[in-house]
Amino acid sequence: MKIGFIGLGIMGRPMALNLIKGGHAVTVWARRAESMQPLLEAGAQGAASPAEAARGNELVISMVADAPDVAEVMRGVASAAVAGQVAVDMSTIAPAAARKIGEDLAAAGIDFVDAPVSGGEVGAIAGTLSIMAGGSDAAFARAKPAFACMGKNIVHVGASGAGQVTKAANQIVTGMGVLAVAEAFAFAAKNGVDQGKVREALLGGFAYSKILENHGQRMLDRNFKPGFKSWMHEKDLNIVMQTAHELGLCLPGSAATAQMFNAMVGSGMGEEDSIAVLKLLERLSGQA
Amino acid sequence: MRTGFIGLGAMGRPMALHVHRAGHELAVWARRPESLVDLPARICASPADLGRCCEVVFTVITSSPDVEGVALGKDGLSDGMAPGSVLVDCSTIAPESARRIAGRLAEKGIHFIDAPVSGGEQGAIDATLAIMAGGDATVLERVRPLLECLGKRIVHVGPNGAGQVAKACNQMIMVAAIEAAAEAMRLAAGAGVDCAKVRQALAGGSAASRVLDVMGERMVRRDFSAGIEARLHHKDFGLVLEAARRSGVPTPLAAVVAQQLNALMAQGWGRDDTSSLLRVLEQA
Repeated sequence: MKIGFIGLGIMGRPMALNLIKGGHAVTVWARRAESMQPLLEAGAQGAASPAEAARGNELVISMVADAPDVAEVMRGVASAAVAGQVAVDMSTIAPAAARKIGEDLAAAGIDFVDAPVSGGEVGAIAGTLSIMAGGSDAAFARAKPAFACMGKNIVHVGASGAGQVTKAANQIVTGMGVLAVAEAFAFAAKNGVDQGKVREALLGGFAYSKILENHGQRMLDRNFKPGFKSWMHEKDLNIVMQTAHELGLCLPGSAATAQMFNAMVGSGMGEEDSIAVLKLLERLSGQA
Repeated sequence: MRTGFIGLGAMGRPMALHVHRAGHELAVWARRPESLVDLPARICASPADLGRCCEVVFTVITSSPDVEGVALGKDGLSDGMAPGSVLVDCSTIAPESARRIAGRLAEKGIHFIDAPVSGGEQGAIDATLAIMAGGDATVLERVRPLLECLGKRIVHVGPNGAGQVAKACNQMIMVAAIEAAAEAMRLAAGAGVDCAKVRQALAGGSAASRVLDVMGERMVRRDFSAGIEARLHHKDFGLVLEAARRSGVPTPLAAVVAQQLNALMAQGWGRDDTSSLLRVLEQA
């Protein structure tokens, strides 16, 4: 399949590489020309603009930072629209923003799928991302062969915006999950009990989770290198809280969690992994 | 001084009348002309038209996009106001928006003061509003005689945006206090104790506050008709949390209060008084 790929950061670069490995003809564009170089070496074509990356391709995929960036590149895509084209955005943005972009693209004759991912850089490199998609059945079917090169657990959740709703739900669970494990560890330590032993004991019971296993281990190792940066988790929780505000939805746990991430960014831990919330807890209780 | 007013609702109308009563010429514009009946004022065709005939213009409207539209949009104030004239915005909007509007107006030599108020409709009628101002001190001095028609306590907090930051702080404390009063009333009722008596007892001690006095009274009487429409506090809490986020400052209590306000909105009580936070607790 001929695919245009826009955005070649930590996530986008390995995702585009996996499309090339999967035998697709990929045209790339990135704001910084030097980020295109590794893809060109791997056999991709380079484009001079988002419009050029889209022109003549059946599928266009974007993987950028925030909603205004997605809207901007998709305006370029729309300007070069060919009837029957499918555009896919895999960034994490607000559901309302995704629905709006979908409507704008529909007006240009392009079918839109919001397909944010979970699994981080490791999952992007290994091609094992979880992909949660929102859009029409036909558009999802067209994009699926590309998704299969980048991810393992690929779920068509519902209509336009449903993928972003799912990603926001994912960030609620992971945000509170990381905080829950950190609080359990702080609790153990303040009681003079070995955190590693607590983790080991909990792994066998109902408190088992991937976060307890993986993030918990990194907390024990005090390895705060990202992974998933705190400021990005804060951004995603802000999408959750904004949406809850607009809908009139009471989310007290997410609200408390969002404030912890807010404090992390404010105190200079934004570039560290979200498990650094453990350090914030220790500081608050004088355990640091 | 020739003074313009945009936004002649529950707050703006009594404020405009006070300015007129003090002997200033009044000009007005409204999106809905029916809100202008019985005003002793020149009625203008657009914000730009109003801007052309005024030395000072007040805006008292709801949201950041509304203020930006009136100030900077097509036929907006900035198209009419002369260099050296002053826009005083008494709305509650984001500090960021206030700074942005100030910057754009400055390009045309128009001055801007953010001057949100506290004291509600009654304070506007009694001319006892607390006014928290952000902007240049000499510009504030020029408009101080007008502000003195509206309220007794006028504080120059700092540069543009500082008034809105102070208002955000005001809303944080006030609505958290309403939630605290609601929880106390709920606890009293849940423990089988007379709410009215609890409120009366507390009024004499360290927990006494204006909020417990006024909002507590409404909770005891179960009179939830506005008052202050809760949807406005809900809107303001969006601004509060956004400001906290931009500053990287944790506000855990405000975040929880915001969730109770979300629940209040979901129950359909946005047009009722914020003392309805008691009813949210009763849903659980």
